Amino acid sequence: MNELLKLQNISKTFRKNNIDALKNISFECAKGDVISIVGSSGSGKSTLLRIIAGLEIPDEGEIILEKNKINGSGIYLAPEKRNCSLVFQDFALFPNMSVKENIFFGKNASKNKSMIDELIEFTRIKNLLERFPHEISGGQQQRVALVRALSINPALLLLDEPLSHLDHELKHQVRNELKNLIKKVGATVLMVTHDTEDAMYMANKVLVLNNGVVDQVDSPASIFNFPLNSYVAGLFGKTNILPFKDFPFLDHHFFDKDRNEDVVSIRPHEFKLIDGNSSVEKPQIKGRVVSVDSLGPFLEVSIDTGKFELIVHVDRNQKIETDHDLSFYIEKK
Amino acid sequence: MDISILKSLKPLRILKQELLFKLNGWTVVSLLVGLFIFFPIGEILLSMNSQSSNWSHLKETVLFTYFLNSFILVFGTAFISLIFGVSSAWLISNYQFKYGKILEWALVLPLAIPTYIAAYAYFDILELFNPLLVWVRNNINIEAMQLLNDSLVYFVTILVMSSVLFPYIYLLARSAFLKQGKQLRDAAKTLGYNEKSVFWKIALPMARPAIIAGVSLVVMETLNDYGAVKHFGIPTFTSGIFRTWLGMGDLVGALQLSAVLIFFIFLLLALEKQARSRSKYHDSLHSKPMSKKIILNKNKSTAAIACCLTPLILGFVIPLFRLMSWAWISRDKASALVSIEMISNSLGLSIISSISIVLIALLLVFTSRYFNSYVINFSNRLATLGYSIPGAVIAIGILLFTAQINAVTNFVLTGSLVLLVFAYIVRYLAVACQPINAGIETNCDSLNNASKSLGSSTYTSLRLVNIPLIKNTLITAGLLVFIDIIKELPLTLILRPFNFETLSTATFDLSSQAQIIEASLPALCMIAVVLVPLVYLNYRLDNSR
Amino acid sequence: MKKLFTVLLTIFVSMNLQAQINIYSHRHYESDKILFKKFTDQTGIKINVIKGSADQLIERLVSEGNNSPADILLTVDAGRLYRAKAAGILQPVESKKMYENVPSSMRDPDGYWFGLTVRARVLVYSKERVKPSQLSTYEDLATRKWRGKIAVRSSSNIYNQSLMASMIEANGSRKALSWAKSVRKNMARAPRGSDRDQARAVAAGLADVAIMNTYYLGILANSSDAKDREVFKKVSVFFPNQEDRGTHINISGAGITKSSKNKKDAIRFLEFLTGPESQKTFGSVNYEYPIKIETNQSELLKSWGSFTYDTLNLSILGSNNAEAVKLFDKAGWE
Repeated sequence: MNELLKLQNISKTFRKNNIDALKNISFECAKGDVISIVGSSGSGKSTLLRIIAGLEIPDEGEIILEKNKINGSGIYLAPEKRNCSLVFQDFALFPNMSVKENIFFGKNASKNKSMIDELIEFTRIKNLLERFPHEISGGQQQRVALVRALSINPALLLLDEPLSHLDHELKHQVRNELKNLIKKVGATVLMVTHDTEDAMYMANKVLVLNNGVVDQVDSPASIFNFPLNSYVAGLFGKTNILPFKDFPFLDHHFFDKDRNEDVVSIRPHEFKLIDGNSSVEKPQIKGRVVSVDSLGPFLEVSIDTGKFELIVHVDRNQKIETDHDLSFYIEKK
Repeated sequence: MDISILKSLKPLRILKQELLFKLNGWTVVSLLVGLFIFFPIGEILLSMNSQSSNWSHLKETVLFTYFLNSFILVFGTAFISLIFGVSSAWLISNYQFKYGKILEWALVLPLAIPTYIAAYAYFDILELFNPLLVWVRNNINIEAMQLLNDSLVYFVTILVMSSVLFPYIYLLARSAFLKQGKQLRDAAKTLGYNEKSVFWKIALPMARPAIIAGVSLVVMETLNDYGAVKHFGIPTFTSGIFRTWLGMGDLVGALQLSAVLIFFIFLLLALEKQARSRSKYHDSLHSKPMSKKIILNKNKSTAAIACCLTPLILGFVIPLFRLMSWAWISRDKASALVSIEMISNSLGLSIISSISIVLIALLLVFTSRYFNSYVINFSNRLATLGYSIPGAVIAIGILLFTAQINAVTNFVLTGSLVLLVFAYIVRYLAVACQPINAGIETNCDSLNNASKSLGSSTYTSLRLVNIPLIKNTLITAGLLVFIDIIKELPLTLILRPFNFETLSTATFDLSSQAQIIEASLPALCMIAVVLVPLVYLNYRLDNSR
Repeated sequence: MKKLFTVLLTIFVSMNLQAQINIYSHRHYESDKILFKKFTDQTGIKINVIKGSADQLIERLVSEGNNSPADILLTVDAGRLYRAKAAGILQPVESKKMYENVPSSMRDPDGYWFGLTVRARVLVYSKERVKPSQLSTYEDLATRKWRGKIAVRSSSNIYNQSLMASMIEANGSRKALSWAKSVRKNMARAPRGSDRDQARAVAAGLADVAIMNTYYLGILANSSDAKDREVFKKVSVFFPNQEDRGTHINISGAGITKSSKNKKDAIRFLEFLTGPESQKTFGSVNYEYPIKIETNQSELLKSWGSFTYDTLNLSILGSNNAEAVKLFDKAGWE
């Protein structure tokens, strides 16, 4: 098995408010995987990362890293002894040390000098080495934090909301660079983020945490197209949750606890507008326009089919007016 | 009983976790040190169990009086100190007026004068009222005179103590007012609030946690006082404790009184914590620093100056002036009354103790935070109880403690400087722990996580990450402790070694023998010694804003 | 830790090379300094003094046990000497001279402590408002005619406790309690201040009669403060209970500690203090009566006249002390 990290039934309760932070979390991570952990705030994402890093102790469960049990009943390996490294949300650079001192602070950092020098070149922070953390920009700080974390050549790299502290304009560029860095180093990464777009961009696997429980672990495409519940479906973009019995021709469906029935998830762009003249073989959905809003490259149209309401996206060149009747067919990839 | 139920019991689970995973050199040493420091206090608390034969007598006769008097003093001093402290803090932080800058740092000066010296500087103030009292006696009746006399005693004692204790509230309130963003008050004003209502409805409630903390300090100091209440003749718990111990030869009874006192102090502290936690006012994150103070016109300026000057004059100028004039009278006897040895004793003792306390506090707080240990956190809280307990009571606890050690090891501890330093540690550890805790929490907690994540040892984290970042905090903590120790009286009186005079004990001895004039010399030396670090501290705190 | 120990040991050893005695003393008077120096000059024995309140010194001696470095305990009242003996920290003294120098009522019957000086607790009254014929006994102070006219210090003070102890012995607990209750009702104000403050209150017109110790009057008379001398001029001394048991007296005294390592030198010192020369110094410098009161030579003290004193053995002051405090509590005398 190529698994680098394995979690089994990790649970933790917050002592203060007696809330379950994590319930029976189990998943695996193979070498070279880049896994994004997503979920709303308070879902326990950061706690999970800290537990893996060893900064918090779970109430129950096991963790195996590189075939060694680092958490279990009666077992707890101190964070300084674990072969993984955590990059914090606020970077946590030591303000009293220069960039260079920060980077070479790690216990075994001096053994990896050539690798570190290469990373410094790659991330273009060579000219910042003598500066202090408060003298460099947020984006530069992030790069320094990354290089510092990689300086000890960890088996597992943990990133806690690496892109949250950055300006929106900066984000895309930084995201790109981060992806390249990870690829270059061949690092195995667990990345916590609340931004689902970042999650899908950066990772080859996405893990959805919903109130302390793992709802789904899958590739970004699968998560997007074949969500296992309404929460996951809604997390990655607007979607219509509709009864399966009205769309029996669709392959993928799941059970919704709140509605107590099987449902399907159809994204707004998966509804294709049928021209008044053309005829289509596929099942049609007809409805009346309730409202039309322009969202830039497309129009967002609210449709009332009589049975339920739909949100669909149509090309902006279409002329849509309220109270018109429209027909759609469904095209899923 | 099903073991799985036991397993799910949280405290047991926490304890199990702590024992399994957090047992190491640092935590074991910290735990032992913390418990050792708590020991004398524990002795006193334990004595609540034993029944002294005099206890029913005490309960029937004097217990209520002690309680009532202590309560009156505490309430009165807290009230007046609040008025002095909050009013001056508000004026200084919000308004600009002539001499405002000078007053700002000068208002801290009364802290240099301990309560017993303030009392002694005003020793004859009640005599001033004699003509009035005689008049009342002759023209109204005896009862009226007695009532007036008693009220005057309380009032004067409260006023004297408030005038030297209010700076605790002043400092904390000032810093709280300054932190409140200007925007909040501007917003309030656009909603129709005038200056007065801004103060009462917004600024004051927001500053409540800080003000309550300041009041709590004033209350502790009031209950700790031994010299002032003795001088003005108000029987309080502290004097009752001594009376029972020494007058009736009943140490156990005295300990029981101490335990009762401690119980009420803890009750007050719990109330305080409640009051503070309910108001979780976060510092406004987007607050801009106080840039513009409102400039006052001439009349209001004068009023503001008068308001700030009053406590300053009462608490510093008058005592200092009187002491200096007495010192001038007895200047020929100066070398006989104050020796270099006395000064170096005070200084040496305080410096050694301060350094020890800061180091111990650093160890205990760091270990607790670094390992996130509930056990160490708890033992730290035990070890820092000493600050809430009057010095005289701690001295008794330590005497008990050493008598037991003496019986076992045949080693005389009393009369050694080591014991006195230990006593100071027991009493003042909290003074260092509080700022150091805040310092590490603010500056180092997340960095320690980074350090751990990078594989550093505990010692490396302490040396390279924590200490450099909290250097200022350590110095501040050291200075605070130093000032408290130099001023300390009751504990030093009881535990001091052979032939060992400090400035505080010399002042007390002379003044209690009614050698008022002569006592001014050691008193002034003491004030001078305290003023230096006090002013320096104030300067540092100002600059760090 | 080892270094500290060796340093302490060296100091301790070096301290012992010269002949010396260690005194725990409650007294802090000029007279003592003079006498200590005289003794050292005459005998070469060094005197180390640690000053403190007797209560705390006793507590300290108890705590130190057999390892205490103290040789002598010096107090300003008999009650505490009694307590020291009861706490087991004193040892009996075999010295013929001591027994000769000190009258029997002023020393412990078993020889554990000895009086060195005497102070009488007298009535000090306003010359203009009170006639001496109005005064008689301590007991008389409880009568209605003194309502609101008495000034006396707190019952926490050992001199009052000793007085009370003698009242208990003379009249029994019940009568002593009602006496204390009535005296408290007769006070012009709640007890406050030192003995001298009571005299000042009388001079100021707040009260008419004060209960205080004689030697404090001496201090007032010779004060460098003109105001105090004025106070002295306005009052006069009355020795109560001359018709029955005599005026209550107390002693300032000393005992030798059980743990003393320099017993011989300590006895020598006590003999010195109870000798005629030292007794004269006590009187002239500190306004205290010598233990043989009749041999008093101080001018000031002579001016107050001779008096009969209560020959109650002063160890009773100690044995009744706890009861005295309790009665004060019950009487509401703070």
